[in-house]
Amino acid sequence: MSIDTQAHNIEEATVQISPVTQGPPDAKTRRYDRQLRLWAASGQNALEGARVLVLGGTATTTSILKNLVLPGIGHFTILDSAKVTPEDAGNNFFLEGQSSIGKSRAKEAVRLLLELNDSVEGVADESDLEEILKKRPEYFATFSLVIAHNVEPQQLAQLSSLLWADASLPPLVVVRSAGFLAEFYIQFHEHTIIDTHSETMPSLRIDKPFPALLEHAMSLDFANMDLVEFEHVPYVVILVRVLEEWKKAHGGQAPKTADERKAFKQQIAGMQRKHDEENFEEAEAQAYRAWATTSVPSDVAALFADPGLIGLKPDSPPFFHLLDALKRFTERPPHVLPLSATLPDMKSDTKQYVHLQRLYKARAEEEKEEFKKLLGVQIHDGLVSEFVKNAHGIKILRGRRWGALDEEEGDLANALQNGPREACTHLALSALSAHFAKAPGTKPTLEQLQAEAYTIAGKGFQAPEELEHALGELVRAPTADIPTTAAFLGGLVAQEAIKVITTQYVPINGSCVVDLVGSWTGIVN
Amino acid sequence: MATATVAQAADWPGRYHHVDQVLEQPGPRTDEAWMPGAPAKSFRENIKILVIGAGGLGCEILANLALMGFKDIHVIDMDTIDVSNLNRQFLFRPSDVGRPKAIAAAEFIMKRVPGVTVTPYHGKIQDKGTDYYMQFTLVICGLDSVEARRWINATLVDMVDEENQDSLKPLIDGGTEGFRGQARVILPTITSCYECSLDMLNKQTAFPICTIANTPRLPEHCIEWASVLEWPRVRGDEKMDTDNPDHITWLYNLAAARAKDFKIEGVTWALTQGVVKNIIPAIASTNAIIAASCCNEAFKIVTSCAPYLDNYFMMIGTDGVYSYTFQHEKRPECPVCGGELLDISVPRSWTVERFIESLIERQDIQVKKPSLMSGAKQIYFQAPPQLEAATRPNLEKLLSDLVADGSEMTVTATTLPFNLNVRITYI
Repeated sequence: MSIDTQAHNIEEATVQISPVTQGPPDAKTRRYDRQLRLWAASGQNALEGARVLVLGGTATTTSILKNLVLPGIGHFTILDSAKVTPEDAGNNFFLEGQSSIGKSRAKEAVRLLLELNDSVEGVADESDLEEILKKRPEYFATFSLVIAHNVEPQQLAQLSSLLWADASLPPLVVVRSAGFLAEFYIQFHEHTIIDTHSETMPSLRIDKPFPALLEHAMSLDFANMDLVEFEHVPYVVILVRVLEEWKKAHGGQAPKTADERKAFKQQIAGMQRKHDEENFEEAEAQAYRAWATTSVPSDVAALFADPGLIGLKPDSPPFFHLLDALKRFTERPPHVLPLSATLPDMKSDTKQYVHLQRLYKARAEEEKEEFKKLLGVQIHDGLVSEFVKNAHGIKILRGRRWGALDEEEGDLANALQNGPREACTHLALSALSAHFAKAPGTKPTLEQLQAEAYTIAGKGFQAPEELEHALGELVRAPTADIPTTAAFLGGLVAQEAIKVITTQYVPINGSCVVDLVGSWTGIVN
Repeated sequence: MATATVAQAADWPGRYHHVDQVLEQPGPRTDEAWMPGAPAKSFRENIKILVIGAGGLGCEILANLALMGFKDIHVIDMDTIDVSNLNRQFLFRPSDVGRPKAIAAAEFIMKRVPGVTVTPYHGKIQDKGTDYYMQFTLVICGLDSVEARRWINATLVDMVDEENQDSLKPLIDGGTEGFRGQARVILPTITSCYECSLDMLNKQTAFPICTIANTPRLPEHCIEWASVLEWPRVRGDEKMDTDNPDHITWLYNLAAARAKDFKIEGVTWALTQGVVKNIIPAIASTNAIIAASCCNEAFKIVTSCAPYLDNYFMMIGTDGVYSYTFQHEKRPECPVCGGELLDISVPRSWTVERFIESLIERQDIQVKKPSLMSGAKQIYFQAPPQLEAATRPNLEKLLSDLVADGSEMTVTATTLPFNLNVRITYI
């Protein structure tokens, strides 16, 4: 079957009609230039197709939305039945001071947020969340992401169960904050990423050279080369050549011991004519690539055991068909990922560098064709290319339902052991939620919050001193949505939402806690 | 006084309900001597704060400060608004394109947040002197220029008079690049300063001229050839305007043709613009995080309601959310706040020219066109032209023939906001 055939054909057709590379960009590209350099047109298209639902028009949610409206999210809805209070008018930039007091909070916020970007659609929905949860649960299915800030604990529990029950329903971002402390969590079942923007460089396969590369390296006549050409032989070629010669002299083995490796480097140094050729110096510096075995990176190999590969069906997500093909590709000798066509810059001249680049490109194309033969379904060539190009960085995140950390035996205890400061901040916010569930709107005492924390943490819990630091801050400011905390969360949550929506970069997996007294953030999982 | 009256009039009951919760009661980590209530809230009336930069960080900083209760805010920015700012600089609208950022930002904040006065200055920070900077309690920087940061840092360190406590102006500096950013608190002369950490900056990729001229391999090499070599050769003294699409198109066409000749792939219009303008990706979310962090620290410093950052917070958002909060240490040989001489070892065989090259390469100095003096002796001067000509013959001489072992030398440059004194030892 064909995946997204129509969309890809349109994309192809558009590319053919107006090559984007040749002239000054259009108005939209100019406006989004600084972000397109991060997530490219593919990420932008994903953003423009996304529909985000935000529960509550607080200082925090409008801060989050601001950072989604500016880069051009397709649609947002603010669901909020409240009217603007004098307190709201003081801490929210997307209300107009006293003149907003008494008006619909959702309508005022949507109106002012829409001023930021004409191409975004925004809706103010004054319905009641409780009623939707009860009577219209299908409401949520039309969104791609739901964000909830300081939603009343019982409603949050209902909402998170509802969205978790069906994997086709949108992920939920739970945001809790009070005063200087905050946390957010993304509830999702599975999140697969092809383009993680990994900073690791794919292997150049110097230790396992493909035939054309080996042939090229062995064909060079170093002794009779003119000096200019000699000084510009790329280090990759030098290493392949020296390694092949070394193996011939050492029973087919690459240098292993420290002495052998030293000798290997000396062999490179010995080839120089003037002893200042930069390409040979580079070859010496990069010599480790000759004995570092190219294999499947362990993070990628671990994905081959992913449950998503079990019982693969034609209508399984394309990612898993691609992963399955990758697994089978690496089961064959030489047990490596498909070659990447990307060649880093190195000391060389145009002719030799471009020649080498073409060898890599041609081989990468061949291997991609081999890879395609292993695919069980038909997948668009653009997606296959993207997958092969980024294969060394692909990722699968598997999430848990909201609340699992507090409810499942031993999880919180582990978290407290691994990072007491971070886990205590999370626990303190859970204690505050538990308090508000019992006594909505009342100011808790330290003792009350301590009791809640002990109940959540279960028997045998010994509170680390960090717990009091966190609880004390919550007692001080239990209902404060401080503009700076809101803005800080606004940035972080929007950033993670963008990563989830674009399926680029890697979102958090766990709970991100924020302490703006100590000026730190951390992850609890 | 007039400002204060207007501000008070605009404060409606409940306005600061959220912020007041942390000002009316201490937290577990608040200093024991702290006075909650009115003293903690007095910053709304008696603090004047300066924001440098009204761009990506500046817009966010101004909005945060206004909501937190700062009523007397000044802002400096020399730029005008470009369409590519609108994806993050949320105080500006398409109709503002071309207007000075400082003025448009100030107007917007005053319209949106009643009772706040924002005083803009459209110009350079270097236009202002010590008297100007002395009037503020605190300075927050949201800049994208290393040179401007070095200048304000050196200026504020220089302003410190041990006998006048008010002369010490905390400097909060924010910076972002794509999904990365940092916020730091600098107490001039007391903590590590901006200059102390210069070597933490990423090294800028510079392509050697010989690669650009003779052995291009990357599309960037072709673009640099067009902008560095062909522009001056063909268009003479005409100034290249990297914001002018016609200029970029001209460079793009040349670079693309050269790439085709050399069979190099990947020259695009966007890449051409990115290389010649040295464009750094920028998004609203990272700016929001870093600006919020800067303003949170400013708020804690002026109210003492919680301990403030000591002294560096950095964040990377590409793989999950990674952040690191640490104390960056002072550098004893920091030319701005260190007081100790920077020792430089120089091979006896080096000419003055080679020595100058080595200075330019140093990450901890970051100087482009240094002039050198030793005592009263002029070793080499980049300007004025007569002095350059007079000292040029020295470039080929050995440094060791001109400067004695163990003696001091002064390095100056237009981009350096101070005189750098170094001690030369020969090896």
